[in-house]
Amino acid sequence: MIRELLYKTAFILCAVTIAIGCKEEEYSVPVPKSGLQNDCIKKSVGPGLAGIDIEFMYAMAIPESEGKLISAQVEASIPGASETYLEHRSFHTNAIGDDIGIPVASPSVTDGAVTKINFNVDTNAATLRYYYRPAPDAADKEVSFTFSATSSNGETASYKMGPYKIRRMEIAPNLAVSDGNRFYISIEDMAIYNETEAASIPDKIDVLYLFRTINGITFGHSFVAPAADAVYRPGITLPNGVNRNTKIQKAWNVRDIHLGANAGTGNNSYVYLDDEDFKTLNLSAAPNYAINMLAQSGIWVETADGKYRGYIYVNSINANGSAVIGIKRYKL
Amino acid sequence: MRKSKYKNLFLGLLLIVAFAIVRCSKDSFPVDEDGLLITDRTSAYVGSFDLVDPTHQTVVIGTPVVDTVAQTIDLEVRFGTDLTSLWPRFSLITDAKLEPKITGFVDFSDLANPKQWTVISGNRQVRKVYTVNVTVQQP
Repeated sequence: MIRELLYKTAFILCAVTIAIGCKEEEYSVPVPKSGLQNDCIKKSVGPGLAGIDIEFMYAMAIPESEGKLISAQVEASIPGASETYLEHRSFHTNAIGDDIGIPVASPSVTDGAVTKINFNVDTNAATLRYYYRPAPDAADKEVSFTFSATSSNGETASYKMGPYKIRRMEIAPNLAVSDGNRFYISIEDMAIYNETEAASIPDKIDVLYLFRTINGITFGHSFVAPAADAVYRPGITLPNGVNRNTKIQKAWNVRDIHLGANAGTGNNSYVYLDDEDFKTLNLSAAPNYAINMLAQSGIWVETADGKYRGYIYVNSINANGSAVIGIKRYKL
Repeated sequence: MRKSKYKNLFLGLLLIVAFAIVRCSKDSFPVDEDGLLITDRTSAYVGSFDLVDPTHQTVVIGTPVVDTVAQTIDLEVRFGTDLTSLWPRFSLITDAKLEPKITGFVDFSDLANPKQWTVISGNRQVRKVYTVNVTVQQP
């Protein structure tokens, strides 16, 4: 009988404990840490190379009661090209997902390796975007960044990012070629020439672009070395001296994002060609022509003098005998 | 001695084990030097054939014609195909294997001396030599 009593008492005690013990905590807004805070993330992906921006987002804030932001600056270990800048608008994402930029300073000033802005509105929190354009002389080097901000109460906060390797490869995207007109491709100059221009620099022409409709075979859009068999360059009389023998290997499903593989809708490449791909490329057994090219195909090339290896990507082809290509090359 | 009530059970188990030892011995599953099973099949022929280029796309126009009596495979490749670097893909009858092994790209450029492969049957006794005749499409 005592046992029963004890059980009942224990049960009632437990129930009461649960009833009064589980009190819901009232929500209160978190209190930010005191002082100037900052944070940074790298927004762009893929290997860094001259001509392609490396993008960062730098956030800085100080509690409103303690002061406001005065200036922000970025120091790069290697001075960037003149297109390097620190965005003077602070961006945030609104309710429908659009990025809205509010000007908080005048445009940035770059002095050597330091890019700086001074805030000209009263603000205690901002996220600024930094765009670094590697200069050609940064190839094969590593670059690091120091982001810093100052506030009106005399504090400075800084954040280090890097190091990032700047590759040796170079790109020339979105070049237009057209059959019979501008179809002399030079890997050395990363440019397209017509017949007159090509005649003056015959030793720089590496690849010819052709478009032919021939009964019985599919010739279509093609890349042919000047020294290739005449049957692969029908109807062409080359200027004197245009006779380089470039190694050409057709490739399918090598869609480099730097050359624009994901521009436009529906494309889903995840490939960035890197220095290593060109270093390990073996074209010793490759032919010197590639016919019947389709959009999003490409060719691996190696110049006759062994100076450059490259990849030419076909962005698009047109039925009238023209195409848009992009060149990525690596100096050996 | 008292008769064990499990005597029949033990006898049954003994029979099963003996049967397993005899039936599952290595001699019932002979393998050749490549580790492939040698079976009783005597047929040795090619079912289908394909040639791919270094982009791993086929270069054949239409379907290769496989003649299992004359032991030839005739096919036409697209104009502009680089014949020095093509990868042949054979489909063989069950249990047959190919000799020499295909380990990479093959040079088909010598059209006067077509390349040949030997199909060996499942019991490894029957050998048939197949010749691959390549013609290039011309304009």
